[in-house]
This record gives sequence, C-alpha cells and structure tokens, in this order.
Amino acid sequence: MSSDPRRPRSDSSSSEGRASVEEDWTQLRTLLLAPEQTQLDELRDRLDNREIQPRDVSRVLPEAFAIRGERDQEMSSVLAPYVENGFVAAVRKSPRAIVDAIAPIMGPAIRQAIARALQSMMQSFNQSLDESLSLRGLRWRVEAWRTGRPFAEVVLLHTLRYRVEQVFLIHRETGLLLHHVATDATVVQDQHVLSGMLTAIQQYVRDSFGASQDQTLDQFHVGDWTVWIEQGSHAYVAAVIRGTPPASLREDFRAALDDIHAQQADALTTFAGDAAPFKTTQIHLESCLQVHYEAPPRSSALKLWILGGAVLLALSWWLLTVYQTHARWSNLLDELRAEPGIIVTVAESTWGGYHLEGLRDPLAKDPSVLVSEAGFDSSTVKATWSSYYALDSLLVATRARSILQSPSTVKLTVEGDTLVATGSAPTEWARETKRLATFVPGISHYRDESLVTTSIPDLLTQINQTVVHFSPGSSTVEQGELTALSSVAAVVRQLDQAAFQSGQRVALEIRGSADETGPESINMQLSKARADAVRTVLGGERLGEATTITTDIVPGAKRRPLNGNSADRRVASLHARLVQEGKEISPP
Amino acid sequence: MMQKKVCMLGGFAVGKTSLVRRFVTNVFSDHYHTTIGVTVEKKSVTVGAHDVMLVLWDLYGEDEFQRVRDSYLRGSSGYILVMDGTRRATLDTAISLQETAARTIGAVPFVSIINKADVRPEWEIDEPAVEQLRERGWPVLLGSAKLGQGVEELFALLATQMISAPVLPGD
Repeated sequence: MSSDPRRPRSDSSSSEGRASVEEDWTQLRTLLLAPEQTQLDELRDRLDNREIQPRDVSRVLPEAFAIRGERDQEMSSVLAPYVENGFVAAVRKSPRAIVDAIAPIMGPAIRQAIARALQSMMQSFNQSLDESLSLRGLRWRVEAWRTGRPFAEVVLLHTLRYRVEQVFLIHRETGLLLHHVATDATVVQDQHVLSGMLTAIQQYVRDSFGASQDQTLDQFHVGDWTVWIEQGSHAYVAAVIRGTPPASLREDFRAALDDIHAQQADALTTFAGDAAPFKTTQIHLESCLQVHYEAPPRSSALKLWILGGAVLLALSWWLLTVYQTHARWSNLLDELRAEPGIIVTVAESTWGGYHLEGLRDPLAKDPSVLVSEAGFDSSTVKATWSSYYALDSLLVATRARSILQSPSTVKLTVEGDTLVATGSAPTEWARETKRLATFVPGISHYRDESLVTTSIPDLLTQINQTVVHFSPGSSTVEQGELTALSSVAAVVRQLDQAAFQSGQRVALEIRGSADETGPESINMQLSKARADAVRTVLGGERLGEATTITTDIVPGAKRRPLNGNSADRRVASLHARLVQEGKEISPP
Repeated sequence: MMQKKVCMLGGFAVGKTSLVRRFVTNVFSDHYHTTIGVTVEKKSVTVGAHDVMLVLWDLYGEDEFQRVRDSYLRGSSGYILVMDGTRRATLDTAISLQETAARTIGAVPFVSIINKADVRPEWEIDEPAVEQLRERGWPVLLGSAKLGQGVEELFALLATQMISAPVLPGD
C-alpha cells in the first residue's frame, strides 16, 4: 500500500497533503460527473471542428428538402441541372438499365401511339377505298386533283360529320393555357397565343354587348370549323370542331370539365402560372377528341357493285369487240395478200375506219367482195386500187383464155413463161392462137404439140354420119348407143365453138324414123319420141350457144331402107349444117 | 414552364405594339397600325434559374374616346406602362391607367417605359417629371422600340419582379 502515490503518508509535508486532496477531488469528480464530462468533450470537439459531418447531414436532408420545397421552387431549380447531368451520365454509362427502368412506362405509350396512328391510317384507307369507284368518288378525285390535296383527305372531309380536332383547357381569369390536346392530323398553331385570344374575344364580346359575367360566348363559327366553349368556375374548355357536331357532344365536354374541376380544385384555385399539375387532365381532354363519319348506305354498296360489274362487262365487251375486229382485219389482210393479182401496199386502221391502197390485176378477185365476206361494212373501208398485170401462172392462164377465146375442148396451162395448149381445137383457132399467144402479157412462148386440130367440115362429117338404132317399138336409147352419143356430143360442142368464133351458127336436126310395121300414126309418134330421146341424151339445149337443135320425123313415104333391112329404119339420124346471116352452108 | 399574363398599357400611339413586336420578333415598322381590341403575343425569358413564358396582352391605346376595360386586366401577373416622351399627356394617361390597374388587380408588379428615346430632343417629358414618377415608386426606363433600346431590359425587369413577388390569392 505504501507504494500507492495517491495515498497520503504520515511523514509527508503539507504540500504533499494538498496534492493528495486534489487527487481525491479529481477522483470524486470523475466518479460523479463522468457521463456529463464525456458529453461536454463531444460538444467541445464539435465546436472546435466546424466541418459538417455527412452523418449529421444525412439525418436532416430529407426533412430539409421537404421544408424548402413547400416554401418555393428554388430547390427544384438548383437541383435540376445536377439531375439532368446525372441522368445523362447514367444513360451513357449504363443505357440498358435506363431502358429497363423506363420500358414499363414507354412501352404502353408507344403501343398506344402506334395503335392510334394505324387506326387513323386504316380509317383513312377504308374511307378512300369505299369511295374510290363511286360517282361521288370520281367527283372528289377531280377536287383532289384541282386543289392539290391528297384524295384520302378530300374523302375524309366530305364524309366527315364532325371531328373534334383540338381541345383547350384554359384558366378563366388569366386566359393562360392549362393543357391542350389535338388529333394527329391537326396543324396546331400557337396554342398559348390562341388561348389568350379566345379569352380576350370572349371578354370583348361580353363587354361590347354589356353582358353580365354569367352570360358567355358559347360558340362561334369560322369556315368549316365551329368553336364550342364550355365554361367552368375556374377554367373553361374550348373545342375546335370540324363539321356539324350533335348537341350531345356538349354534354361530354361538360362532364370532362366537371371531372377536371373536381380533381384539380386546389391547383385551379392557387394557379399562378404553373401548368404542370394539369398534365393529368390529358385523359379527360382526349375523351373529348371525338370523331364521327357518315355511315355509307348499304344501297350505295350494291349500286357500286352493279355499276362496277356493268363497267367491267362493258369493258370486256369492248375489248372483245376490239380483239375480234382486229383479228378480222388481220385475216382480211392475209387473204388479200394471198389472193393472186392483189398487192396491198398500205393498210391502216384509224378511229373512223380503215384505209387500203394497193395494186390489182383486172382478172383478180374483187377486193370489195373479200371485204364484205370478212364482215366489214364497205363504207368503213376506203380502198384505192391501181391496175397492173400480175404474172401469177393462174392469172396468166386466165388472161390467155380470155384473150385467145379458147374453146372448151382446149386446156391452156402456163409453165413459167410458156403457154401450153392441149385437147382438141378447130384448125382455124389453133392457127390464130399460135400467132397471138405471145402477145398475152406474161407469155413469151407457146406450145401446142399435144393439141389435136380438126376443121369444121370434118366435124360436120363426123356428126352427119351418126345414126342411133332402136329396138322395135322402143324409143329408149340403148346402152351401147350412149357411149357413141357422148363422143358425138363432144364433137357438136367443138363445132359449136368453132362456129361461134367464125361468126356462124350450127343448125342440128335430129330426125327420127320407124319401120313400116304398125299403123302410120303410131309410127309417127314413135319417130318423134326417138328423135326427142336422142336430143335428151345429147344434152338438149346445153350443147352450145351457137347451136340450135330441132327434131323431125321421116314420113312413111320417104322411108327407105338404108341397107334393105327394116332394122335400118328404126333409127334417129343427126344432120348438122352451118347457118350465117340467113345464108345456109350445106355440109360437104 | 411558368406562364405569366402581362398587359401592355398606355395612351394612344405610344408604341405598345412596337415594343411587343421588337421584343417578340425583333422587328420594328415605321407604319402605324391601330390595335383593335387586344392582340396576344408570347415570348419566353429566363430569370435566374427560371424559364418564364410571358403572355403579352397588347391592349388598344387609351384616349379620350375609349377607356381600357377592366376585364382585360384581370388575371395579369404584371403590367407595363408605356409613355411617349414626345407627348406629355401620355404621362398623365399612364398615371391614370396605373391607378385603374392597381384598383382592378391589386398591387402586382409593373414597370414603366418612356418610349421614343430616338427623338430625345423632341421630348416634352423632362427629367423632373421622370423623377416625380420614380418618387411615386415607379420603375422608369427610357427606351426606343425603333432602336431596340431598353426593350429587353424592360421585360426582363418585369419578369424578375413577377418571379420574386409573393403569390397573391385570386379574388
């Protein structure tokens, strides 16, 4: 214990005693005031250390923000740049986090905007489609072309019954704009200035007419637009409407305005220029952006289909007609080009008809006949043909037959530039043809080595030697005589041609006779019948233009047996002679 | 953004519309156009950290034939009194208009400008008269819409006063 310095010693001096007392006091003070001493030390440290500790600030910061924020907007103004910078830095540093954070907000908003745009586009498209083919639609198309506006816009304007294009929420006393909404297609002017002017106009009108405060301007018209104003106690709604709105629309405006007044009562009462709180009125104002189009009548759709069908049918018919006409025209040209002796140089199709020009051999087929056969009215086809000689073998042969007047027993063919005559012909014709053949256009040479020539006297002799025998009592030409008569007919035709060329005529007499048996009257009838039968077999009147056929009978007194046989009297004989200008030429 | 309705007040042909046009579009025209009723314009200004949209109601000039209607003044957060330095009578009109405004909308901020400083030698409003106005507590600027003098300052001063003024409850 003696080693304890704080304990007084019996042999110590007075100073030491005082020191001991001090120590005791100190010890006592420590025991009694230790907690307070600690607090005092802390306060001293805080006073000595003027720097504000973050921990202290963190305790009061939220409360400080709240207090200052209630007083004025200074806090917002001060913090705004830092918040903006912080946001920009955050976006740069971690854009993904920002996207994730705002996606729940932006997603629905973007979807809503796209949906509205699509809806508007589809509405415009449907309206345009409905009206695109109607008569009214055509008129509007002309209007669109004339005014330079899109067709869809013209259709919308005409079918529009009414459309609320803009809605203003305006503070009644100041005329300041609280909020504004507009349709996508609306061109919005300066809505703040417009709000002021709308308010000024109302006050001007009211003052000008000495109206009281509760008498207000409810609506006015400007061109296609109507402005409806619905008054509230602190704010009013002004709606810009295109078209003719129904009276019920005003009820919707009234309801929206009442809702806004109910929800924004404090903000409206204390409004001092800050319109930010009124952004929440967007949904109420958008409910006023109504639009109503004329419903197209059902009958018009039916009419549209009928009209469309008729137009389609008419168009199809027209196209078919055009196609068929074109095909007939092409076929006609092909036929004309294929026709010998016709050369088409110009073939034109015009609105008024058709035009043809070309060359035509006089012996070629008449083109107007081909035109008629093709189904064209000859008045619609103007044709000009110049004459020429065609060198087609067919036409050259025809031309040769026409010029040379060949008998029907002669066949003329063209081989290259050579005319070939075959068959049989009178000697005179053969001689004349040999002289004239090369004068026929297209013929340079003539050959007739296969032509059999006979003279008129020879022909007369051949005919006059003909006797047709009959059975007793019969006037029927027997089979064996028919072949001989057919040869005689050819000779008669040859004689006919030769006589015609020489300007003479042939008088052919067929004389029938009978034997002496039986009564004379019967025999005369039989003789007549036999002459007629031979005439029929020879071809009657068709033997030739220059031939006259007569029948006769040989009277009984003149009958004489040819060979002393009665069978020789059952005959019909042919007698031909040439007659010229009343002068008879006897057979040789 | 904060919006403030501001009325342009003054006598006939003192240059209210010219001041507004110079302020809003920075254009001045020598051709005089009488304002019929009200023309509303707007322009944004920045006061400190605040952006303020001034919605300017350019009222027709008051003369012996027509008085400015109280209804146009209602709701104004401030107003500008415009005088023509070359016509002493416009000062009296301004004083009358200030009294009307104070009576109608209360003690809201206002500033005054004596226009047409570009023809200062022709002024009828002299320095003592200006001093008297200042003694009444009027902020008085001298400016010219034609030269653009004092125009920006005029609107900036009023905007500053309106921002710092306590918000009074409406009627």
